[in-house]
Amino acid sequence: MSVSREFSNDGKQLIIAIQGKFDFSLVQEFRQAYSHIGDSQPTVIIDLRETEYLDSSALGMLLNMRKSLGSSVKGIQLINAKPDVRRILDISRFDKMFTIA
Amino acid sequence: MHILIVDDQAANRVMLKGLIERFGHNVSSAANGMQALELFSHKGADIVLLDVMMPVMDGLTTAKHLKQLSGEIHLPVLFITALDDQKTLLECLDAGGDDFISTPPEPIVLQAKLNAHARVRELSFKLKEKNEVLAYHSNRMEREQNVVSHMLSNALLENELRFEFLQTYLSPATEFNGDLVLSKGGPLGNYYIFVGDFTGHGLAPATGALPVAQTFFDLAERGLSVATMVKEFNRRLVKLLPDDMFCAAFVAELSAGGDRLSYWNGGIPDALFIDNNGEVTNRLPSEHLALGILPPDEFNSSLSHCFIERGQRLVAYTDGVIEMANTDGNRLKESGFENKLKQFGHQDQFDDLVSSLESFQQGTEQSDDISLVVVNCVPTGLPVKQDDHSIIHLPFELKVSLTEHNIKGEDPVTRLVDSLSHLEGIKAHKTTLYLLLAEAFNNILEHNLLRLNSDIKEEDEGFERYYSERERRLESLEDIEVAIDVNYQPVDSVICFGIRSNGENGYPADEFSPVLDEEKMHGRGMQLIKNFSRYYEWKDEGQCLYIEYDLNLPSV
Repeated sequence: MSVSREFSNDGKQLIIAIQGKFDFSLVQEFRQAYSHIGDSQPTVIIDLRETEYLDSSALGMLLNMRKSLGSSVKGIQLINAKPDVRRILDISRFDKMFTIA
Repeated sequence: MHILIVDDQAANRVMLKGLIERFGHNVSSAANGMQALELFSHKGADIVLLDVMMPVMDGLTTAKHLKQLSGEIHLPVLFITALDDQKTLLECLDAGGDDFISTPPEPIVLQAKLNAHARVRELSFKLKEKNEVLAYHSNRMEREQNVVSHMLSNALLENELRFEFLQTYLSPATEFNGDLVLSKGGPLGNYYIFVGDFTGHGLAPATGALPVAQTFFDLAERGLSVATMVKEFNRRLVKLLPDDMFCAAFVAELSAGGDRLSYWNGGIPDALFIDNNGEVTNRLPSEHLALGILPPDEFNSSLSHCFIERGQRLVAYTDGVIEMANTDGNRLKESGFENKLKQFGHQDQFDDLVSSLESFQQGTEQSDDISLVVVNCVPTGLPVKQDDHSIIHLPFELKVSLTEHNIKGEDPVTRLVDSLSHLEGIKAHKTTLYLLLAEAFNNILEHNLLRLNSDIKEEDEGFERYYSERERRLESLEDIEVAIDVNYQPVDSVICFGIRSNGENGYPADEFSPVLDEEKMHGRGMQLIKNFSRYYEWKDEGQCLYIEYDLNLPSV
């Protein structure tokens, strides 16, 4: 399983973790991971600690998610990116659209 | 029974011998103490009948020697004496005498006495045997405890309890701690802490600590999530521990910035966030059953997450803290502990807090293991793990020719980068190399071969449509070829890639706009190639994309 989705105990956060390669091959799985989030306006947290590879299609999928979730979430955070992954996010100026922590 | 008769009067010896042999015992005789000792050291005896007054060595001296020779085994010594001289009787007792027989003896009394003393001697043998067995087991247990203790201390070598942001007070009730506190930095500068409390004390819980510690260090090193950790702890403990044993645990990960905490609490008292006055600002209660109870498919690894304001400290402790009692038998309880936190609220007052806890239970015996950890939630300052940056010194060249079969089913770019990562110094760059190769490969495939139009991505649901269209066209594609050439020269440590296809049309150069619209769904790929490569160029009228990547560039 390369996309996993889990709500925190209090339901205020939805954590989506991506393992290995993050690209268009996960396009359906990833979209499903952030569907049905309910009305409680959770914060979506994308945990990239186990993400080794990503390309522009992954960036597109993240933007797509942001567009589709809109105001139904409190915010979207990208966390635990390895230095190389972080550099790709930074160069793409994703800090303007997401909280990168 | 073997009875030794010591008497200087031959008539007495013969009379006693005859009598005692009729009771079914073996009899040896000696005429004085000296002879008796010699006989005893050769043949031994189970009971000695001893005259008091004898030449050469009298009965009192002989008794002392006999007792000494007999060592741990009880040797009954019965003095043969007329029972009228109190003083002599006392001396006999002092010399180790166990009983008296009168002369001439009453046969039935003598028989009864011999039988009684024989039984005492028999018990003495059994006792010695049992003591030996006990001593053997005690030695063995000590040895085994030493082995476990050795293994435990080795297993905990990786435990990093000396961080500036970490304060601990660990006080086991017995030699083996049933509490377990583990602490280690992760590869991203993040930090993991485990506070556990096994049921029971002593060896058994200490043994449970071994697999938990190994798993903790391994998974922390790999930077995995607390959810993954607790799942693995539980899986192992369920398998290992007997049904009545489990491990309550609080497991947490602090982000490198010290501003985010994710945690799992199963059966540990509420962990606390406190501010610099020691006031509790947040409680992190137990939300799960302890580790080692539920089978893996029923186990709940859901975490809780919190964002931490600057200056907050995390306090986690085992129930030994709040269950400690003072001499009046009153327990400290949560309220008492939180009062102490307020009293010694500042970070610098940790030692005072500990002293205060110690003086609370002074004069009582500590009945449970006590563990208390305080984590100051600041940027950890821990190093971010770096891959080996040494650079390969051998030139190499690699040619990969892909047909539609490879492209459809085999994820060639991932495979190629995985393979290259095995070369010295390449692994540290694999994320970036993957990015460059994936962008180049997908560009050639999607535009030159599949003739897809990226504008689709901008439409509603366009992203999914684009990729299902990609799938559809790829399926029907035949007789295609994509060649990837990799060339490395150690002189300038530059790795060069050429990706070309047998597609008819080259990349429409005007589609690439150097100014990137951040919200736009496409056009990002070429921008990334531009950013991360040292040089790139479309060659052969767009049939081939050539990229140079400098391994000397910092990968971070």
